[in-house]
Amino acid sequence: MITDHISQIRAEAVLAIQQINSAAQAEAFRVQFLGKKSRLTGLFSFLKNVLPADKAVAGAEINTLKVWLQGSADELQVRFGAAAETASFFDSTLPGIIPPSGSTHLLTQTIEEVVSIFERMGFDIAEGPEVENTFHNFTALNVPEDHPARDPKDTFYTDQGNLLRTQTSTVQIRYMQSHKPPFRMIAPGRVYRPDTVDASHSFMFHQIEGLLVNSKVNFSELKGVLHLFLRELFGDKVKMRFRPHFFPFTEPSVEVDIEWKNKGWLEVLGAGLVDPNVFQAVGYDPQAVKGFAFGMGVERLAMLRHGIPDIRLFYENDLRFLRQFK
Amino acid sequence: MKISTDWLKDFVDLKPPIPNHAEALTEAGLEVESIEKSASGDTVFQVEVTTNRPDWLSHWGVARELSAIHGMALLKPVIADEKKLSRTPPAGWKVIAKDSEACPYYTGILIEGITESKIPDFILRRLESCGLRSINLIVDITNYVLLELGQPLHAFDADKLVGKQILIRRARKSEKLILISGATIELNEQDLVIADSEKALALAGVMGGKESEVSALSKNIFLESAHFIPRPVRDSARRHLLSTDSSYRFERRVDPCLVDMARLRAIQLISEYAKPKTISGVICAGQKPNPIVAKIDLAQDFVTSTLGCDIKVNQISSALTRLGLEVRTVSSKAWKVTVPSFRADLTRPIDLVEEVARLYGFSNIPETLPTLLPGAVSMRPERRIQKKIREAMVGAGFNETVTFSLISKEGFADAELEAMVHLKNPLQAGLEWMRPSMLPSLLSVVHRNLRHGADSIALFEIANVYRRDSKKEVSEEKTIGFVLTGKARVGQWLDPSREAAYFDLKGVMQGVLKLSGLSSESWEPANSPGLSSSVSEKVSVENFLLGYAGQVSQSWLKLWDIQTPVFYGELRISPLSSAMMSKKVFREIPKYPAMERDLSMMVPEQVYCHQVIQDIQDAGGTLVQNIQLFDLFQGGRIPKGCKNFSFRVTYLSRDRTLTADEIDALHSKIAQVLATKYQAQFQSH
Repeated sequence: MITDHISQIRAEAVLAIQQINSAAQAEAFRVQFLGKKSRLTGLFSFLKNVLPADKAVAGAEINTLKVWLQGSADELQVRFGAAAETASFFDSTLPGIIPPSGSTHLLTQTIEEVVSIFERMGFDIAEGPEVENTFHNFTALNVPEDHPARDPKDTFYTDQGNLLRTQTSTVQIRYMQSHKPPFRMIAPGRVYRPDTVDASHSFMFHQIEGLLVNSKVNFSELKGVLHLFLRELFGDKVKMRFRPHFFPFTEPSVEVDIEWKNKGWLEVLGAGLVDPNVFQAVGYDPQAVKGFAFGMGVERLAMLRHGIPDIRLFYENDLRFLRQFK
Repeated sequence: MKISTDWLKDFVDLKPPIPNHAEALTEAGLEVESIEKSASGDTVFQVEVTTNRPDWLSHWGVARELSAIHGMALLKPVIADEKKLSRTPPAGWKVIAKDSEACPYYTGILIEGITESKIPDFILRRLESCGLRSINLIVDITNYVLLELGQPLHAFDADKLVGKQILIRRARKSEKLILISGATIELNEQDLVIADSEKALALAGVMGGKESEVSALSKNIFLESAHFIPRPVRDSARRHLLSTDSSYRFERRVDPCLVDMARLRAIQLISEYAKPKTISGVICAGQKPNPIVAKIDLAQDFVTSTLGCDIKVNQISSALTRLGLEVRTVSSKAWKVTVPSFRADLTRPIDLVEEVARLYGFSNIPETLPTLLPGAVSMRPERRIQKKIREAMVGAGFNETVTFSLISKEGFADAELEAMVHLKNPLQAGLEWMRPSMLPSLLSVVHRNLRHGADSIALFEIANVYRRDSKKEVSEEKTIGFVLTGKARVGQWLDPSREAAYFDLKGVMQGVLKLSGLSSESWEPANSPGLSSSVSEKVSVENFLLGYAGQVSQSWLKLWDIQTPVFYGELRISPLSSAMMSKKVFREIPKYPAMERDLSMMVPEQVYCHQVIQDIQDAGGTLVQNIQLFDLFQGGRIPKGCKNFSFRVTYLSRDRTLTADEIDALHSKIAQVLATKYQAQFQSH
C-alpha cells in the first residue's frame, strides 16, 4: 500500500545517495526525488484517494519521508556545493578586486614612528606655531644677538617682523614656559631656512626635537635614552657614537652617529645637556633643574632608511612615489 | 678647511697610522670629513670647524688639540727673537685707530729693501696642500702665517701709500675701493677700512686694495698684524658678498694674543727668505691684549653629577692641563682654572665639564635610563583625531601629500592678499606668501600627476594655513585639505569606472566629520577663493565654521594648466578634535524591528533635497529613524524642469513593534504633505 511505496522510495534514495559524488549528481537527486515530477509529489496526489480515517497517518508518513529527502538533498548540496558554483568554468586566474587604499606620506610615517617610540618612554607630544618671534627662536635658545643665524640670509622674516622658525626647539621654550618640571616632551614639525633647493637641501623641512627636564638629569641618561631610541628605530644591534659638537642651547653638545652598512658613521641626531642660559631665559632656576635635549631631521632619517636619493621627491608628491610607501 | 699633516708634524710627533689621528680629532669634536693626498704626497685632512672653536682654524691650533688628546708635547713655531729686532718705529710713521672698539690692537712694521723673491719649496707645498694659490713671496708668507697660526696679516706696498699715516676708520659715504680681486666696491659709513692719509687701502679684516697690493717687484712693504672684532668684519663681508680666509677667521674671533706672535713669525720668515735690508720696530695703536680671559671655579662633584660618571680628580685636572688651561688646586676636589685668550669660549663650569668629557671620551660614559614619571601622559586629542583621519583617508583611497607652505599670489584677489602673510625676504619669486589654503599647493600636485598620466587623483594633506587678522596679527591653523579629480573609481572587470563628482568629495568630508563625532552640520552655498561660484559651499555647526568645499573655478584650473574638473575642500582640525573629546556613551541597541518604505517622487528641479528630507522628518515625527536618498533621476521619461527623488524611509520605535497598517498610514500621510507642498507626483510602490 502507501507504506510500501514510502519504504521503496526511501530504499531507492538511500541507494542513489551512495552513488553521488558531484554537485551535478546531487542536484539531479533533488530533481528526481523532490521535483515536481517526482514520486513524492505523486504520493501527495495519491493521498486524495485515501480513506479519511487513514489520511492523517498516511499524510504524516509521507511528510516524514519528505523531510528526510529534503534533509538528504541539503546535506548533499553542502557536501558537493551548489550546482551553480561549479556549473560554469572557474577561471581562477581572474584578478581579485582590491579595495581602494591610499597612503600616508613617508614623512608622516617617519614622524609617527619616531614619536611613538618616545611616547612609549612617557614623552608628551607637543606642537607649536611655525610663525614665531626672535625670543623663542633665538634669544631664549642662547643664540647671541649678533649671531649670523639671525641674519635674513639664514632666516625668513614676515613683513610684520615675525620669523618662520628655523628649528623646532622653539616648542621646547614654549613648553617650558607653560609647564612645570619634571616632564619629558617631544615636538615634531615644519621648519624653514632660506636654503636653495637641491638634492639634499630644502627651504622647508621637518624636525623632531625632544626635551627632558627634572631636578637631577645627567649625560649618562641622555646616552641611555638615545641608544634605546636608535635600537628601536634601526634595530637592536645598532652601533652609535657620540661626537662633541656645538649648539648654543646645549652644553655639553654632541652629534650622534650610527654605523651605516658600508657608508661608515652617519650623523643622525644632535643632542646635549640643556644650557643653563636656556633655563634662565624661561624663568627656571638653573641650579634647581637640569635637562637634556635632542633633535633630528626627519627627511634625513627617511632618506637614510628608505634609500631615497633626492629630498625633492618628498615635496613633489608624484603618485608613483607616494604609492611606494603604502 | 684643509689641514696638512706634514705641517702638523712641525709641532707634534704624529705617529703613523695617520688616519687614527683623524679619528681621534673627530671624536674630540673636530670632525675630519675626508682624508686626501696632495700632489706632493702630503696627507690632508678636510675638517669641519664648529663656530665655537675658532682656535682650530690653524695648524698650530689643531696640533694643540692633538697634543691634548694624546698628552704629548706641543712645539712652538719658530719666531723672530724680539730682543734682536729694532725697537725704533719707522721714522715719521703714525698709526691712528679712530675706532678702537672695532680695532683694539693694531701693529705694523716697515720692511725695506727686499732683495729676494724666491719662494721656498715647503711654503709652496703646504699652501698647495691647503688649496691656496701661490702669489709672490711676501703674500705667500702672510698666507702661510695665517694658515699656521690663524692670524690674518696684510702687506701693503709702502711705496704706493700716500703719506706716512695709517688710519683705522669707518669709510666715508660712497667711498670707493678697488679690491685685490679687481672688483670695485662702494663703501658706506659702517665699513671699517685701513686708509692712508688720502683714501681707503683695505676693507679691514676682509680684503686688501688693488692700488696698494704687494707685487713680486715690491721693495718696501708695510706689514699689518692687527686684531679686529667679529661684528664689523662680518657685516662688511656680508654687505659686499665677500668671504676670505681672513674674514672667515675674524668673523669667528681670532685670539688677540696672536697679533704679536704672528708678526714675529712673519718677520722670521721674511728675514730668512726675502732678505730685506731693514726691518723697523713696531708702530702700534691700542693696548696689548690680556692673555687671560676667565677664571673658573670647578668641583669634581659638579663634573661627575653632570656626566653621570665617576671621573677621578687627577683625570679632570690632567684633561684641563693638557688643553693649555692653568689648573690650580683649591682643595682636594676643587680647582680654580685660568683660561688663556685662545679659549674665550670657556666661561662657566659647565664649559669645563664639556672639555673634560671630550678628552675623557663620551664613549666611556655609561648608559642609564631615567626613571618613569608618575603623571599621566595621554595622547592629545589633536593627535588622536589626526591619526584617525589619516587611517580613514587611506581606507578611502586618498594619498597624503606634503607640500610647501610658501606659495605665489597667483589666483588671489587683492582683497584676499590683504589677509595673507607676506615674507620680507623670500628665497625666490613664487615663494613669497604663506598659504591661506592648501588649494594652490594641491593644484600643483594635481597638475604634476596629470602630466604623468595619472587618471585618478585623490589627495589630502594635514598642515597649517596662515592668515592675518584685522589687527594684522598672524595666525595659523591646522587644517586638512582634500582634492579629487579624474575617476572616482577606476574600472575593474566586475564594476565599471566612474568619473568623480563633487558629491564624492563632499561625502569623504562628511565621513571625516562623522569620525570626530560631529553631527548635524549644515552646508550652505558660499564663495571661496579658487572655487566656482556655482558649486561651492561652506560647512558649519551651530554657526561655527568648519570648512568649505566646491569645484575649482575655471580660471584657477587655467592658471595651473588643468583641463579636468577638480574638487577641493578644507576642514579645520581643532573643532574636530574638540568634538572628539566628548566620550562616546553606549546607547541601547533597538529591541524592536525597523520597517522600511520607499518614496519615489517627481518634483520641480529647483527643490532642495535637504528640504524634502526635512519635510519627511517633520511630517513623520519621531518614528522616522533614517531617510536615505537612493536614487536621483533626470531626463528620459521625466519631463524637462523636473527630477525624480527616491528615498528610503526607515521607521523604528524604541518601545514597541510597529504594525504594517500603522506605518502605511504614516507613510501615506508624509506623501500627502509632500504632494501638497511640491506638487510632487508619486510612483506607486
